[in-house]
Parts: sequence; structure tokens; C-alpha cells
Amino acid sequence: MQPTIKPAGDSALLVSFGEVIDEEVNARVHAIADAVERADFEWLVEAVPAYSTAYVFYDPIKASFSEVKAAIEPLLQVSPESFKGRLVEIPVVYGGQYGPDIGFVAKHNGLAVDDVIEIHSKPTYRVYFLGFLPGFAYLGGMDERIAVPRLEKPRLKVPAGSVGIAGKQTGIYPLESPGGWRLIGRTPLRLFNPGREPPTLLRPGDMVRFVPIDESEFLELYEAEWGGGR
Amino acid sequence: MIELLNVPSLLTVQDSGRRGYRKLGVPVSGFMDDYSARIANYLVGNPGNAPLLEFLLAGPTLRFNASCVFAVAGDVEVRLNGTPVEPWMSHWAKRGDILEVGALKSGLYGYIAFAGGIKCEPLLGSCSAYPKAGLGRPLKAGDILNLGYAVLTRKDGRYLPPGLRPDYSAKEKTVRVVLGPNLDHFTGEGIGTFLSEAYTVTPESDRMGYRLDGKAIEHSEKGAGIVTDAIPTGSVQVPANGKPIVMLRDAQTTGGYAKIAVVATADLPIVAQSRPGERLRFEAVSVDEARELLIRREKTLRAIKGFLDGKMRAYRIRTGEEELIAFTKVERRD
Repeated sequence: MQPTIKPAGDSALLVSFGEVIDEEVNARVHAIADAVERADFEWLVEAVPAYSTAYVFYDPIKASFSEVKAAIEPLLQVSPESFKGRLVEIPVVYGGQYGPDIGFVAKHNGLAVDDVIEIHSKPTYRVYFLGFLPGFAYLGGMDERIAVPRLEKPRLKVPAGSVGIAGKQTGIYPLESPGGWRLIGRTPLRLFNPGREPPTLLRPGDMVRFVPIDESEFLELYEAEWGGGR
Repeated sequence: MIELLNVPSLLTVQDSGRRGYRKLGVPVSGFMDDYSARIANYLVGNPGNAPLLEFLLAGPTLRFNASCVFAVAGDVEVRLNGTPVEPWMSHWAKRGDILEVGALKSGLYGYIAFAGGIKCEPLLGSCSAYPKAGLGRPLKAGDILNLGYAVLTRKDGRYLPPGLRPDYSAKEKTVRVVLGPNLDHFTGEGIGTFLSEAYTVTPESDRMGYRLDGKAIEHSEKGAGIVTDAIPTGSVQVPANGKPIVMLRDAQTTGGYAKIAVVATADLPIVAQSRPGERLRFEAVSVDEARELLIRREKTLRAIKGFLDGKMRAYRIRTGEEELIAFTKVERRD
């Protein structure tokens, strides 16, 4: 399939495969965004992949839309295999104070709590892209057997690192924020750390696996990640 | 060093923003009105992107604990030790002097620049505050800011004449936009509504985006939702209620509402400086026209910098209805 190119204002250009959520399409999007960034054009600000689109942000003083378009067109044929994300393992303590809604998720789906943990920690999830909050990953690949509706009333404060489920999606809150997802656990890792370069644990195109840990492991890792630093 | 004595509204350190972190979900942030902010920096002899203070509606009161050259950009009353001094002009302050910046008479954001810039540890390449992610925080009374090193001689007394200042006082302003990229989510009538009606800025507006009220824009059968993708600064999203939202500096990096248009970069300050209750009209231009507007604006800013540096002279030319400002190089006689 051939993507279309459209202007998105005077400083960005939209490469689109249409409005689809599909692993193969997303792999092509990552390959294109990566190829554009590696080509090191002097007008390039950055390429931002999402599900089925890559926005190419450029400096309009340095190049016009048609110049940018002409420069990236040859890169659209790049093979999806040219870009490989990393596999990132994310330790999670499930249930208890860390995952207050895990009982609801189990009950709603007619499962035992241990089944929820097993089903959630089994797949390898794909980071389709990051957005919404710094370091927030849109993950694909959750097993629908643990799908649940959102909370009717969002919590005012969800701690950073909370792992939640909303509909057929799962995700991790990178920052303390309000939120309506059902919380099943928490990772001690910092998803977003402004003092680090790059500041996010996950990057677009990575693969993610959740590894169940117990509370003492959580506390130990938590101290190492959050203690002392900012 | 300066000490903030009174902070009546949102006051943050801003520079030209973060570059290259959208793909990790980090908003660009930076000056809401980069035109005024850059002139404020030029007035004190800084590079245009030096970190300065951005205030919303009303400025702070502060004390200088060391000599410094400063300038205020905005339609605002400024007092130094109780005596009125001109905005859009650089002044010398001594240790112990008190600067009071009042409420803006027009526009929404004002800037205070200091020679040498505000000293700060850049986070992800920028000093711009984005408190939501722990990148800086709003300033409060009692905060102390350090300034960068600057050669202070001959940086005061720089003055931008009224004809060269941006004017945000109109209650209805026209904003140029590039239509798209999700035009297929709107009916022809919807696009016509967007380009012919005036939209009022509502109080639910902040550095993230301005919600507008006015005649609802009709979506096509594809509806208001899109498969989530990136949000360029200035994107005009239209949720299901048909009322547009202009996404600005602190906007989240991705979103799921259809974008009917993106504001021309050169006109972003016009949006940012529009107060709740004021109206915006949108005019479609091509992507090349939008680029031309920006190139022209950059030329003007460069000429203004040259003028403030004493390297250019400005002339006002009246041709019938239109008033133009022309710059010429100052001849150097060595």
C-alpha cells in the first residue's frame, strides 16, 4: 500500500496509510520515521510516528513543503524490517495497594486474580507510539479476556508507574495524574525521567513484556529508580 | 539575581521550547507569543531564544539584587522604584531597585527579558516550564532567579517605536490557516462555516489550547474521531460538538480529534494573544503562502534586531491606506 502525503500546516507534513490500527502498517510507519530521522536532512525537526501515520516536522524557513515531500518520497518504500525496536521487560507488582482494581477485572471476566496476572503478563506488547503524556505508550496486543470498562468516575490521583486496563487496552501511567483506567499493578521503573537522555523508558516501536514481581522486589527496585534522584 | 516579591498570575520561565521530543510524548512548550518574546530579548541584547519571564495578564513585582538591564514587552504599565518607565525599551536597574509590571491593557501574555537571560539548567534542551511533567514549575513570590552573564554597557536605552510593536488590541482578529489534514471528516458546509463565522475565545483556554465558541462545524459521516495521530502546534481540532479548539505550545503530542486546519506559524501569536471574549476569524491560505508569511516575519524580526542593535534605521512610509515600515542599513564611517 502506498501512503499519501499532505501538508499539516506550514511546518509539518503528514504521511498516512489511512486510518487503521494494524501491526504491519505500524511497522512501516516506524521504518519510515526512522529512515527520515537517519537521513539527517538539515530542515528536519523530527518524525513522529503514530498508529498509521508519520508526521514529519520541518523548519519551513529552510525548506518548502514540496522540497520536503520530494526528499522523503524515496524513503517511503523502506522495508519494515529496517527498523527493529528493543524488547523491554517491565517488572510489575500485581494487586494489593498497587493494583486496587485487579479483583474487579477478575470478577468482571469470570476469572481468578492469578489468571488475570498470567493473561496480562504473557503477551509481548507492541509500542505503537508514545503520546498523551510524556512517556505514555500506546500498547497493542492485550488479550481481550481481561478487557474492562473504564471507571465511571476517574481517580483524581493515579501514582506514576500504575499499570491499568481500559477497554481492550493496557498501559502504564508515566506520571502522577488523574485517570479512569482500572489499576491492576504498578512498576517501580520510571517511565519518564526528565534528567535522563532519552527521558523515556520506552521508545516508539519497542516491544514490552510485563514480568510479575513481589512487593519486596518492587520496593528494592523502587528505591534504586526513584530514591535520591529528582 | 532577582527576587520575586509578588506574583499575581501565571509566571513561568520560557524559551523557544523543546525540539525533537514529541515522539516521546513531550510537548514543545516555549513562548506563547514568540514574536513579542524575541523582541524583548533583542531589546536587552540577548539572542532571540534566551530564557525570559512570561506572564499571563498581570506582571510580577520583583527586586534586583544586582545591577541588570531589563525590558518589558507588552501593552502594560511598568514602574521602576515607583516611577513609570516605557515598555518596549531597555532600562538599567541597580541593586535594590523594585520593578512593578502591571496588568496588560491588551493581549494576554507579556514578557520580561534580562540581559544575559535567566540562568537555568536546561531539561531536555530547554528551560521552558512544563510543570505537568516536572519540567520546571510556575514561579511564586519568594523565588530567586539567577541571571546569565552579560556585558551591560550600552544595552539600555534601546527603544522600539510604537509603529513597530505588535498590536493585539482588536476585539476581532483574522488568523491565516492551512486547511487539513483531516478535511475528509468535514462536510463542505462545515468547512464553509469554519471559514465564514467568527469564533469567540472561551475562558477554558490555557497554554495547552484555546477552546472557541461559535456556530458548530459539521462533520462528514466519518465523524469527529480519527485514529490517534500527532498534533502540530496550531492544529484546529473539532470535537463532536462542532466547536473548534486551537492546540498551542503545551498541547499533548497526539490526539484523536479531526483537524480541520493548522494555524500558519506566523499567526500563532495572534491566537495566543486573544483574550476570552475576543473573536477570531479564519482565512485559508496555501502552505506556500503560510511559509511566505513566516519568511517575511523572520525578515522583519531580523530588521528589528538590526534596528535595536543600531545597525539599521527604520522609516515609516504611507502609501494611501497602507502604512509600511522600511529598514535601511546604517552607513558606518570608520
